[in-house]
Amino acid sequence: MNFELTEEQRLIGQSARDFGKEYLEPIAVELDAKGEFPKKVVQALAKHDFLGLLLPEDVGGAAAGFVSYVEVIEDLSRYSAAVASIVNNHTIAAYTIQKWGTADQKKKYLPGMAKGELLGGFAIYEHGPTPGVGPDTLVAKKQDVGYVLNGKKAFVRNAGEAGVYVVFATTDPALGAKALTAFLVKSDAIGVKVGEKLETMGLKGCPVADITFENVVLPETALLGAVNGGAAISATALAVASVAEAAQTVGIGQAAVEHAAAYAKQRVQFGKPVATLQAIQTLLAEVATDCHLARLGLRNAALLIEEGKPFEVEAAMIKSFLARLGSKMLIDTCQVEGGFGYSETMPLPRLFRDIAGTNLLDAPGDFPEKLIAASIA
Amino acid sequence: MPKCLVCYKWTLDEQDIKIKSEDLSLDSSRAKGKISDFDRNAIEEAALLVEKNGGAVDALTYGTTTVKQSLKDCLSRGPEKVYWISDATAGNADASVTANVLAAAIRKMGQYDLILCGEGSSDQFNQQTASRIAALLGLPCVTFANKLSYEGETAKATRKLEDCQEEVSVKGPVVISVLSEINKPRIPSLKQVLGASKKPNEEIKVADLGLKPEDLQPKAVRKSVKGFVMQRKNVIYKESSAADNVAKLKASLASEGLC
Repeated sequence: MNFELTEEQRLIGQSARDFGKEYLEPIAVELDAKGEFPKKVVQALAKHDFLGLLLPEDVGGAAAGFVSYVEVIEDLSRYSAAVASIVNNHTIAAYTIQKWGTADQKKKYLPGMAKGELLGGFAIYEHGPTPGVGPDTLVAKKQDVGYVLNGKKAFVRNAGEAGVYVVFATTDPALGAKALTAFLVKSDAIGVKVGEKLETMGLKGCPVADITFENVVLPETALLGAVNGGAAISATALAVASVAEAAQTVGIGQAAVEHAAAYAKQRVQFGKPVATLQAIQTLLAEVATDCHLARLGLRNAALLIEEGKPFEVEAAMIKSFLARLGSKMLIDTCQVEGGFGYSETMPLPRLFRDIAGTNLLDAPGDFPEKLIAASIA
Repeated sequence: MPKCLVCYKWTLDEQDIKIKSEDLSLDSSRAKGKISDFDRNAIEEAALLVEKNGGAVDALTYGTTTVKQSLKDCLSRGPEKVYWISDATAGNADASVTANVLAAAIRKMGQYDLILCGEGSSDQFNQQTASRIAALLGLPCVTFANKLSYEGETAKATRKLEDCQEEVSVKGPVVISVLSEINKPRIPSLKQVLGASKKPNEEIKVADLGLKPEDLQPKAVRKSVKGFVMQRKNVIYKESSAADNVAKLKASLASEGLC
């Protein structure tokens, strides 16, 4: 058993850290303040192969594997979780096309997605009585040839910037989730309307909006996977995404604890740095421990994904773990920095908002404990 | 089209080294390795020269058993091949031993038009490797280069000196040491990182270099290393007027010869 990263994984992580320092650190505050989509950064991400990380070489990807991917997401998140979120949402769309797409679909979309010329988005959530993944309001009506989409998807990340969306719609509202079907919809298809950008608490710069589909005519070739096979696709894709989002949470937590530790070493109280006080040491130690354990857990889940083994229970465990401890990391690190930590002149408030965005926005009605319990009882 | 060789050192990342408060000794037990900072500039400069002029870049390194960890990092930054020398003598080698080993290896490897080094290493910063290699190989040496170009068979360099800049033109082969400001080392893309595994590397044994035992004997021996910790004096002036506080501060600084 080996917990060490391979040399390539370590070097890829180093590239992501260097990228974060050079490209993300200088813009993170402005991105948080203005929330404008960072186009130049996305181009630079593509140039360094981060947008095609998971894709195979024959479509221009780097085929670096899922362990490398979570390493990259953690390292980018240390500097800007908003940018990491853009990458995550793009990558999960690309992953879905790679895994379930036909040869023609892969040829049509993936080379552009690997190069960053075509950004991806994942449209799964809906407004409604039960928040979260919804099969109710977006309907795909079968025509003689193809389908017509009518309805709305909610909280779509990369909305307005993506060139292609993986969209989940029901072919029969009476059947609910059993009729959920995945489609590939280009952003310029007639009838696709991106709503007003949602002002969010955190992850500003990664655009979030509803998308309305009004009589959007799709050819048969837009169908992704089997008719009524969308539930299985979305379950797997969201489980994969949850591991990447765990890496995002750990990256934010790591940035917070490193900042708090540096602050504690230079902040003097009672004649000595507060880092020497037991209460402060306890807070820092607990956050560092949570980050470390979460990192081990998510790397384990990532390795299972990479090796094609069942990973859903481990992914649910890490999601449950960080749902409890993610925000606590920020509460504790703010506590270390006291009044200054609460100030917007420090990075912790931004990190606080970003960790909330990471933990809250994705599948808020989700219940990972159900899957974990089912695996043991 | 220049044939370039870059010599680099695999050092500990100083950010990971802790100073033990009890005796100021260094704890490097958790320190990771890295290519010495200025050497990364040398690798980048060679890669840029070859991208512009054609030619080829090889790399050469000498270190302890950990030096093998550097190969993929180096190869992801441009060189086509890396030669590596892993030997226990590197553990306490001074600049003289390092240069003896590297120069002997270069003689064995063949002729290069440009041999680039960083101006100094991140750990010891002796600033001697380039000039010693040049002396041992009988080649001209250009130090403190912050600009470099190559035309025909001639290298043109700008040397940044204390009070002036000096333009130098030198026909290769030549040894050149570069400053950090000469370029910004690239961030290897993922494909460059993964492609590094497919590039060749070759081990050179010290025993095969024809060196005498005295060539591997350091002349400067490091007896100890201690960290430096800035101590605050915690002096607070509590006079009622700002002018009195400033006067006291000024007197205090003057008593220590600081103003």
